[in-house]
Amino acid sequence: MTDAEVLECLARGREGDEKAILELFHYMYPHVTKLVQANLPARESAEDLVQQVCVKVMSHLDQFSGKVPFLHWVSRIAVNTCLNQIRHEKRRPEVRLADLSEEEANVVEHLAASPEELDASDQVASKELVDKLLASLRPDDRLLMRLMYLEGHQIDEISSLTGWNKSLIKIRTFRARAQLRQRYNLLMKENP
Amino acid sequence: MNPIDNQLDRLFRAAAQVKPTPVSAPAFGFETRALAAWRAARSTDEGIWDVALLVRGLILGSLIMAVSFWPVLVSNQSTTVTASNPFADYLQLTDSTVPTDVAP
Repeated sequence: MTDAEVLECLARGREGDEKAILELFHYMYPHVTKLVQANLPARESAEDLVQQVCVKVMSHLDQFSGKVPFLHWVSRIAVNTCLNQIRHEKRRPEVRLADLSEEEANVVEHLAASPEELDASDQVASKELVDKLLASLRPDDRLLMRLMYLEGHQIDEISSLTGWNKSLIKIRTFRARAQLRQRYNLLMKENP
Repeated sequence: MNPIDNQLDRLFRAAAQVKPTPVSAPAFGFETRALAAWRAARSTDEGIWDVALLVRGLILGSLIMAVSFWPVLVSNQSTTVTASNPFADYLQLTDSTVPTDVAP
C-alpha cells in the first residue's frame, strides 16, 4: 500500500467506510502482530492483544495527525498497549537456577566458562533465558531492555515509540541493566 | 568491562539472533471479530457523545431558567422585606387592637 493509498483509506475510514477500515486492518495486521509477539506479556493471548490494538487504531483514526508515517503511529499505540498490559501483571518471578531448563543452565555455564560467543545451537535457549531474566524486571524496564538489546533500536527510536524522553531512557537503561546484572549474578552464584 | 556485563552482552547477542515467528494471515473469523469490535466501539463513542450533548443541554436549560426567574425572585424578596418592616408590623398591630366595633 503506497502512502497516498493509506491517506485515501484513512480519509474514507474516518467517514466510517468499512471497506477502507478493512483495508487498513490488513495493512497494519502483520506489523501489529510482530510488535505484540515481541513484547507479549506473559499469559496474555497475542490474538486478543492484536485485536485490541487494531480496534484502538481503527476507532481513533481522527487522532492521526499525519506528521509521522501511519505505521509509526500504529507502532506507538501497539507498544503502549503492550506496556499497559504488562503493568497489570503483579507477579515478577525471581529467576532461580533450579527453574532453568537443562539447555538454559548450559548457556549460563558456557557463558561463565568461555569468552567466546555462544553457538547457534544455544540461541533458542539464550532467548528463553533472556525472557526469564526480563520477566523479573519492572514492566517499563523490561520493554526498554527488549527494544534496546533484542530488537536493536536506538535511543531516538525508543523515544518515538514510547514517548519517553532520551534522558529518562538513559536513566532507565542504566537502572534496568544494574538490576539485570544483579539477577544474573545471583544465577552465577548458584551455579556450582 | 565487568565480566558479568560481558556475559550479559553475549547472552543478548545470541538471543537477538533468534528469528521472530513469521506472521501468518489472520485466523479465520478474526477480521470479522475486529470489525465487530470496531463497530461496537464506534457506537459507544456516539452514545457517549449523545449523553454529553444531553448534559450540556440540561445545564444550558437550567441557566436560562435561572436567568429568566431571577427578576421574579428579586421582586418577591423586596416584597418580603416590606412585609417584615417593623413599622408596618406596628401599624398592623395597632390596627388589630383598636376597637372598631361600637358597643350598643
